[in-house]
Order: sequence, then structure tokens, then C-alpha cells
Amino acid sequence: MNLLKNYRIEKRDHVSPLVLALSALVSLVAALMVTALLVTISGGDWKEAFSSLFGGAFGDKDAILETLVKSTPLILTGLAAAIAFRGKIWNIGAEGQLFAGAIGSYWAFVTFESLPTVPLLIIVFIAGCAAGGALGLLAGVLKAYFHVDEIITTVMTNYIVAYMLALILSGPWKEAGSVYRHTPALPDFVKLPIIVPGTRLNLGFILALLAAGLFYYLLKKTPLGYEIRALGSNPMASRFKGIAVSRTMITTLFISGAVAGMAGMIELFGSQYRIRMDLSTGYGFTGIIVALLGGLNPLAIIPAGIFFGGLINGSVRMQIFTKVPAALMSAVQAIILLFLLASQAIVRYRIRRVDDVD
Amino acid sequence: MTMEKTPEPLENNSAELVIQTKGLTKRFLNVVANDNVSVDVRKGEIHCFLGENGAGKTTLAECLYGYYQPDGGQILFKGKPVKITSPNVAIKLGIGMVHQHFILIETLTVIENIVLGTEPMGLIPKLTEAEAKVQALCDTYGVDIDLKACIWQLSVGQQQWVEILKALYVGIDLLILDEPTAVLTPQESERLFEVLQQMKENGLSIIFITHKLKEVMRVSDRVTILRKGKLVDTVNTADMTREDLACMMVGREVVFRVAKDDVERGEPILKINDLHVKNDWDQGAICGIDLTLHKNEIVGVAGVGGNGQRELFEALVGIRKVEQGDVKMNGDSITHLSPRQIMAKGIGHVPEDRIRMGLIPDFSVAENLILGQHRDPPARKGLNIDSQYVKSFAEECVSDFDIATPSIEQQTQLLSGGNQQKVILARELNQKPRVILTNQPTRGLDVGVIEYVHGQLLEMRKEGVGILLFSEDLDEIMNLSDRIVVLFKGQIMGIFDSQEARVDEIGLLMAGVTEDDQ
Repeated sequence: MNLLKNYRIEKRDHVSPLVLALSALVSLVAALMVTALLVTISGGDWKEAFSSLFGGAFGDKDAILETLVKSTPLILTGLAAAIAFRGKIWNIGAEGQLFAGAIGSYWAFVTFESLPTVPLLIIVFIAGCAAGGALGLLAGVLKAYFHVDEIITTVMTNYIVAYMLALILSGPWKEAGSVYRHTPALPDFVKLPIIVPGTRLNLGFILALLAAGLFYYLLKKTPLGYEIRALGSNPMASRFKGIAVSRTMITTLFISGAVAGMAGMIELFGSQYRIRMDLSTGYGFTGIIVALLGGLNPLAIIPAGIFFGGLINGSVRMQIFTKVPAALMSAVQAIILLFLLASQAIVRYRIRRVDDVD
Repeated sequence: MTMEKTPEPLENNSAELVIQTKGLTKRFLNVVANDNVSVDVRKGEIHCFLGENGAGKTTLAECLYGYYQPDGGQILFKGKPVKITSPNVAIKLGIGMVHQHFILIETLTVIENIVLGTEPMGLIPKLTEAEAKVQALCDTYGVDIDLKACIWQLSVGQQQWVEILKALYVGIDLLILDEPTAVLTPQESERLFEVLQQMKENGLSIIFITHKLKEVMRVSDRVTILRKGKLVDTVNTADMTREDLACMMVGREVVFRVAKDDVERGEPILKINDLHVKNDWDQGAICGIDLTLHKNEIVGVAGVGGNGQRELFEALVGIRKVEQGDVKMNGDSITHLSPRQIMAKGIGHVPEDRIRMGLIPDFSVAENLILGQHRDPPARKGLNIDSQYVKSFAEECVSDFDIATPSIEQQTQLLSGGNQQKVILARELNQKPRVILTNQPTRGLDVGVIEYVHGQLLEMRKEGVGILLFSEDLDEIMNLSDRIVVLFKGQIMGIFDSQEARVDEIGLLMAGVTEDDQ
């Protein structure tokens, strides 16, 4: 204790973006080292595990393209978290909003099935975004007008949506004659076009990249982005200077929910083609880590999303070829998050030795 | 300047010193709040710590009171080196302190607050003995206070007495007062000064922290001047003039009187009619106010803090609901308009708390300068904020208003308070407002920046702008205003022409005393 007395924790005046990016990289490496340790402790060979993990993720063209498919929903949910977090609005509901997007878009498909492909897909796309956005909007209205904490409402809507989906899948939308709780598979004409023949890489990935570009532009250049950032830094001064704080909160949560809903639509129409309870395996939550790894910068979220997509993709091969279970990836995600948070603290603060008082 | 009478060397009369620091240094982050400061306080003297905001007065006192631990140097109490590791240690040594912000429990009585924490009380405290002792203290110093009243029932001035009694009750040799007059009316301040004299005669030593020269001259025997964390000098007050002290405090000559041109007041521009506004607790904060502001006029709103200034300001800005009555700008009602609509009518504002109400701390200087106009041309071009315009506008502001910043991309929270205020002024004045609302525009600023802010306001007045100036600094109000309004408990107690206004008269009204009461 006496030893510690001579050290003080101080906030740094200025942190360059380069240092922030480096710290993210360092924490990734550190997290992987801890992962290696975990693998070793559980009796596996970490070299073998890592080589099959990275081989499965980025080892050849097919692996990389499949990684991009897996990263698509993560980039989108990462964007959902990022835009809200920039306004210090804590949307933890991307998981539910993603499912809502899938439900909404599937409903639109069932309703307008007779339309030609292109208008049908546009309607399906809008319906997916609108359904996710509506959930965000709900949390936004409750926050802005009734001061209900958005963390609570968004977390709870995750459950509401999940149970509603379970209900629908046990009854009305359940595939006739199947023992599984899932919808019938989508017909080919409504699936998102594959952009590299022979792989699963589809238009959805391009849409995710476009969304990242759009979000970057929105935050950086437009009055709305300016207001979201102003709100995140100082809501009171924002109010004094005429920013409609309530409206900005609601809009932000709507956009955040809409892009998560878009992830659900794309996952359904681009990758899985039917709604199941495990349409998303926690993409909404992983998106939060992706957003933080990307420093809440929409463009940096692209590589962050691809990295996590790679982890998910590679873990399948790792499980097949080594004894290491794919479930390890959940642990890896959490370890990365911890290291990220710790590295940010270290980068933003420093420990200084102080001279003895006497 | 020359110092003829320097204080005698310390070694010769260390017996009569109460407390002494040798080379005391205290750092926060990269800021050196106290740099190698050596001061000594004698028995039975009133010793002022004088300096601008941020000079390190309070930090020095907090080190003496054990609230902060110095990073270097030594503290001697009655000649013996001591380590004051906590306020408890300080109190045991015989050091008491009254902070700027009171530490009282609102729902307990005066006597309970005084006794609290000083002795084990058991389940049912017996307060009779303590009461007699406190009553004796009150009688000695002529303090009139009901010991059985709850704190929330007392005025701020009375609460300060409770803090002082709390310190005296445990038996101390040194009392530290941190800007005690900030919350008092002129009359209450005068009363405090008289009591301090009396305490001094009873052998108590007093450290009186202030940045007001008038108080130093009025109350102190000696004064220690601090500037930017460094000791300038310790001098006998009697050898000094106000100008000498100001010069030492600021580091250059200071002009006290604001040069105010005679300007003919114009037509009415802002009319407030029977305005009612509530505070955050749904109680009436502004209870029926009528006031007219003219072009080319500064109306000063005087009053002790918490008498409805903030609520009135916020209602006029548009972020607080008007319950009743109306506000007209050039004949158009702006009563229930949004802040954005009110700004568009030509009302600019400089709020009381720069960082909380005026600026987006994480934003660059350039981004902050367009706050409020970011949705309208020329700041907006098409769907975007026009970065070319933002850049040129920022560069223009930085040069016009002499904002000291490494670049327009600098984060605004890293600027000094004075430069932050200049960012706000530049932003507001560049919008060509016809009315400016300003609440405490110079609070916490250096003398140089204060002069600058006052100059800008007077320039605006000359150009035909009507200015409503809220301030708790009566000197500022007296110097700048054409008319003075006294606000007390949400009501206007009187309106004066500043030429004819007398400080004592305004002071009484600030305390809610009308002629009928006298």
C-alpha cells in the first residue's frame, strides 16, 4: 500500500487516433495470447487450434469470402451500436431489433409475394428496416418523453421479440409438416443475388459496406450527425443552443434500430433463407464489441466486423479439426472486450510516480 | 514596486506563528496548483489569501486542512512539523474550515449539525450541554440564530453562521474561510467582517480566501498574493493600496473604472409582462415579473444567487416552461417558442456555466463556433454542413476575438476558461443579435478577460443591442448597467437608474428588506 502511495493516476490531455488504433491492435494480440493459454489449459494444442482457426477464417479465397458473409450482420449491428453510442444512447437491443427486422421482412415477403423480384425486395428491405427501427423508436419515445432508461427498454424488448418469434414459429409461420420450429425456405427468386458464383457471398455484404459509408457521412458531415455527437458530449448545451434533444434521441434510436433490422433482413434473405430461433447467435451483442473495437468509427467497424466474422467462421473448422470447441469463441469475444476496455483506460490515463512528500 | 516593510524573518518569532508552509507544492495532472509556496500565519491576525481564480488559493488552504496532500514541502503547526493527513487530523490540531459549498444536513437542526461527528452521542443525544456552549458562542459574537431550527429553514447567510459555529464549537486556533462573502449581501458581509474582528481580538487566527480587493482592504492585517500557483508576496495590508494589490494579483496595471460612453437609450425591444416560471421542484421561482429592455441599454439584474435568476434566464432562452404571462420581442410574442425559434428572433445568450451550458466540450473550436447555426445556410449547404464555411468562419472568429488556441481543430475543453468564454462570445455576437441575455458572463475569469468581456458588451450596447445582464457581482452590475433591477425570491424589489443607485440600498433589497420593514 505504501508503495502505491507514490503513484498517481492522471488523465492524458491528448490521445492521438494512431495510438488508439495501436492500442486496439495490442489488446487483440493480448486477448489471443490469453486464448492460447485457455486452449493449453483445457488440454488442446494452441498452435494447431490457431492455425485451423485462422486457416478457416482467412486461409484461402473460399474461407475469406465465407468470412465476409459471416461479417455482414456484425458490421451492421456494429453500426447500430456505434451511432447510438456516439450520442451516449445505450442501445443494447440490436439483437431484438435484428429479429424484428427478419420478422418484418418475412411478413412483407408473405404479403407481397406476387410482386416481381425487384420491387418485392425493395419492400422487403424497407419492411425489415422499419420493423427494427420501430423497436428503436419505441425505446426512444419512452426515453425522451417518459425518462425510461433505454438500457432497460432495449434489453427487455430483446426478450419480448424472442418470445414472440417463438410463438409465431410454433404456430402460424411454422413450416407445414416439419418437426422443427422454422419457416419454410424462401423461394430462389427472392434470395439476395450471389456476387461471387460458387460461394455464399451476396449483395448483403455490399449493402453493409454502403451502410458503413453512409453512417460515416451522416456522423461526419450532416447536421443530424453533428447533433448526435453534440448530444453525446453535452445534452444541456445542446438544448440551450436550440438542438431538439428529444427528437434527436428518438431519431438516433430509430436509425440504430433500422440498421439492426437491416442485418436481420439480410441474414434472412442473403444467407439463411428461413427464420429460426438461431437466425442470430448473438450478433446484436457481438456488434457492441465490434463497434468498440472500431472506436465507434463507421469505417473502422468494417475491418472490426470482418475480424469477428473470421473468428466465427474459423471456429467451425477449429472444432472439426482439433478438440477445441467452437464455444471457445464466446470466451474469446469477452476476453477481447476486457482487453479493449483496459487498453482504453491505459491509453487515456497514465500512472506517474510522484516525489516523496518529505 | 517597492516593499519597504517586509515581514520580519520567521525564525525570530516562530512562537507566535500558528501555521507555516515551507516550499509547499501541489500538482494536479500536469497543472501545478501550488508551486513552492511558503507562507506564515500569525496568532491573532486576519490573513487574506488573494488571487485570481485558479491562482491556487483554495488548494493551498485545502492542503492546510488536510483535504489534499502536498506533493512537496512542509507544513509547520505552532512551530512543529506536522503531517495533516485528513480534515480530522486538522480539526484535532485546532484548524477549522468553512468551504464555499456548505456541508450541512438540511433536515437536521442547527445544534444537531454542530454536534454531529464531534462526540459519541448514543441513541438519544443529550444536547443541553452542547446547546449552552453554542449559545454562549452566539452571545459572544452577537449571532442571532435559532439553534432548534432546521437547516433548510435558514437563509444562506444563516447557514454560513452554522458552518462557522461548527468550526468554533470544537475549539480551534485557526479558522479558514473560503470566499465566504460570495453568498452574502453587502450588509451580511459587513456583519461577518465585524465578527471576524472580534474573533481576532479573542486570539483566533483567520485565513480569509478572496479575490475581491475591497474585502482584503476592509478586513485583513496581512495579505498573501498568489498568481498562477506561485507566491507573489506576503505584505502588510496597511502599506498597500487597492491598485498595488491588483497589480500584484494580475501582474500588470489594472483599470478599475469601466469606460462607459453615454448612449441615448432606444425604443423598447424586449417586454416581459407578468411572467411566472417554476423551478426544478415545481415551486414558483419567478412570480410575476414586469420588465422592459430597450435598445442601447444594459439592464443589470442584481440578486443573491438562487433568487430566480437561472429560471428567468432559462425561460427567456426557451428551455424552461413559462407558466403564465408573456414575453414580447419587438411586439411579437416569443413566450412559448422553442430555443431555436427564439434565437432566430435575434436573441443571443451567454450562460452562467460555460462548459455545462455553453459549449460542447468534445467538439473542436470550429465546431463549437457554428453551434446553433449548423442547420441553416450559410453553415449548411444542401444536406451537409459546409466545411469550407466552418473553417473560414472559425478563422475569422479566432482572429477577431483573439482566441488563443493552437488551431481551430483544438478540442474546446482544452482551452482556458477565458478562451472558452471568447468562443461563446464570438459565436453569439457574430449572429448579430438584437438582444443579449447573459448570466454571470465573467465568473471565474482573469481580470484581463473580464475587461475584454465588459468591453464587448459595451460595444454591443453602443451598436443598439439591448442587454440583460444577470450577475452576482454587484460591482459588475453597478459598472455596466444603465438600469438595475433587484431580484429577490422571484420578484422585482425595485428598479433603479444606475446613476442614482446606492449600494447599501440595493444590498438591503437583495436581502428582501423593503422600506416598510425598516
